[in-house]
Amino acid sequence: MIGSVVALLVLLAAGVVATALIDSAVGAVVGGEPVGRALKGPFTRSALLAVQGRTTTERPDAGTWRLAPALLGGLAAVGAAAVPLGRGLAAGDVPDGIVLFGVAMALVMVAVFLHGWSPNSPFPLFGAYRFAALALSYEMPLALVLIGTALPAQSLSVGDIVSSQAGLWNVVRQPLGLPLFLVAVAGLAFWGPLNVADAPDLVGGTAAESSGPALLAWRAARSAVLVAAAAMAAAAFLGGWNGPLLPGPVWMAVKTMGIVALVVTSGHRIPRVRLERFVVVAWVVLIPLALLDVFAAGIVAL
Amino acid sequence: MTRTLAGDVVFAAAGIGSVLSAWRVFRTDSMVRAAYWLLASFVGVGIILVLLSASFLGLVLMLMMAGEMTIMAVFMVMFMMNPAGLNPMTMVHQRRSATTAGVVSFLALAGVGLVAHFPDRPVSPDARPTAELGQELLGDSMLVFETAGVTLLATMIGSIALATHKGRFGDAQSSSLPPPVDPAEPVAAEGAAEPPESDPHAGMDHR
Repeated sequence: MIGSVVALLVLLAAGVVATALIDSAVGAVVGGEPVGRALKGPFTRSALLAVQGRTTTERPDAGTWRLAPALLGGLAAVGAAAVPLGRGLAAGDVPDGIVLFGVAMALVMVAVFLHGWSPNSPFPLFGAYRFAALALSYEMPLALVLIGTALPAQSLSVGDIVSSQAGLWNVVRQPLGLPLFLVAVAGLAFWGPLNVADAPDLVGGTAAESSGPALLAWRAARSAVLVAAAAMAAAAFLGGWNGPLLPGPVWMAVKTMGIVALVVTSGHRIPRVRLERFVVVAWVVLIPLALLDVFAAGIVAL
Repeated sequence: MTRTLAGDVVFAAAGIGSVLSAWRVFRTDSMVRAAYWLLASFVGVGIILVLLSASFLGLVLMLMMAGEMTIMAVFMVMFMMNPAGLNPMTMVHQRRSATTAGVVSFLALAGVGLVAHFPDRPVSPDARPTAELGQELLGDSMLVFETAGVTLLATMIGSIALATHKGRFGDAQSSSLPPPVDPAEPVAAEGAAEPPESDPHAGMDHR
C-alpha cells in the first residue's frame, strides 16, 4: 500500500519533469531554436524560482494561498491513483475508479478558484472567475464520455475499462470520446488554447501575484493534473496497458506522454480561445456530442 | 467492509473534522470561506459514507458539492455587494435564536445517535449498496422520478438557452461590437433605436 503510493508519487513527479521538457522542446522546434539548449530551460527556470523570494499582497488569505498548490497537486495524485499502470498495478484501482477520478477533477475547480481568490488582487481573481466558467463547461463532456467508456466494461473500475478494450480500443469503438476528452484535459490543466485562468492577457491570472517556490509548486501541480488526466485518457480510450511486444506499464507511459505531448503542442500551435465563445461552443456543441456518445455507447452495450 | 483500526481513525477524523468545519462556516467572516468550509464538511461526510461501504454515494456527494459550493460562493458574493468576498463581514444574523436552534438540534441528533439501537449485521462484500438503496428509497416510483429528473434538466437547459444572448442592454453579441471609426455614426447593431438615414443632421458639427 505505502509502496504503491510512493511509486505513484515518483512516477507523477517524473511525468511533471517530462512535461516540462516536452514543452520546452516543442517550443524550441516551433520557434526554430536549437532543442539541446532549450532542454536546459526548465531546470534553470525552476532553480531560479526555488531561490527567489516570496512577494505578498495587501491583506491576502495567506493560509489558503499557500494551501492551493498543495491541494492541486494532491488532487492530481488522487486522480492518478485511480489509473492502473498495468494489470492490477494501481495505488487505488477502486471499484468506483472513474467516480474517484471525477471527484478529484471536480475539486480542481476549488483549488484554482482559491488560488485566484486568496491573494486579494484583481488579476488573480479574474483568472479564478474565468476558471469557474471554464470548468462548468468542460466538466459535463468529461463526465459523459467517461461514463460512455464504463458502459461496454459494465464497471466503473478503470482496470475493468482497460480490460474491456483488449480486442478493440475505445478510441475506435467510441470515436467521439477521445477528442471530447482531450478538450476537457486541456481545460482541466488550463493549458494551451484553454489557458484562460493563468493567461498572459491577465499578466499570469491566478498566478499573477505568486513568486518563488509557491509559483514553482503551482506550475508543478498544474503539470501533475495534466499528467493525471492524460493517464486517464490513455487508460479509458487508448487501451491502457494493452499493446504488442513491450510490457504493459511501458505502453501506458508511452501513451500517457503521447497525450501530454499533444496537449502541450496545442499550446504552441493554437491560439488561446475567448472564454465566452468556448462556453457557448461547450454547451451548444460539445455537451450534445457527449450525450450522443453516451447514447451510442448505451445502445451498443444493450 | 470489516472494521479496522485505520478505519476507526479515519472515521473519527472525518466525523470530528466535518463538525468542526461546519462550525467554522458560521465563525468565518467571508462568503467564499464559508462556502468552502461547508464543502470541507461535506467531504468529511462523504468519507464517512465511503467507510460505510456506500462508496459511490460518498464520492458522488463530494463530486456534486465541489461545483455547487463554487457556484454558491460566486452567487453570494454577487448578491452581497462584497467584492471578492475578502472584506470582513459577519455570516450570522438573529444570533441568539439561531445559536439556540443549532445547539438544540445538534444535541437532539447526537442524542439519537447515542441512544438508538443500530443493527449489527455484517454485509457480504458482494452486496450492491447503491442499487439496494435506490430500490429502498424509490422502489416502483423509479420511472416517475427519473422522468421528473429529465424534465427538470430539460427545463434548466431551456431556461439557459432563453437567457443567453439577451442581457439587460440588448443582444449580448451586439454590445461587444467595436465602436465605429466615425464617432457620429451609431453602432450598427440589431435593434438600434433609429437607423442612420433617419437623422440627416447627425454628426454635422464634426464635419
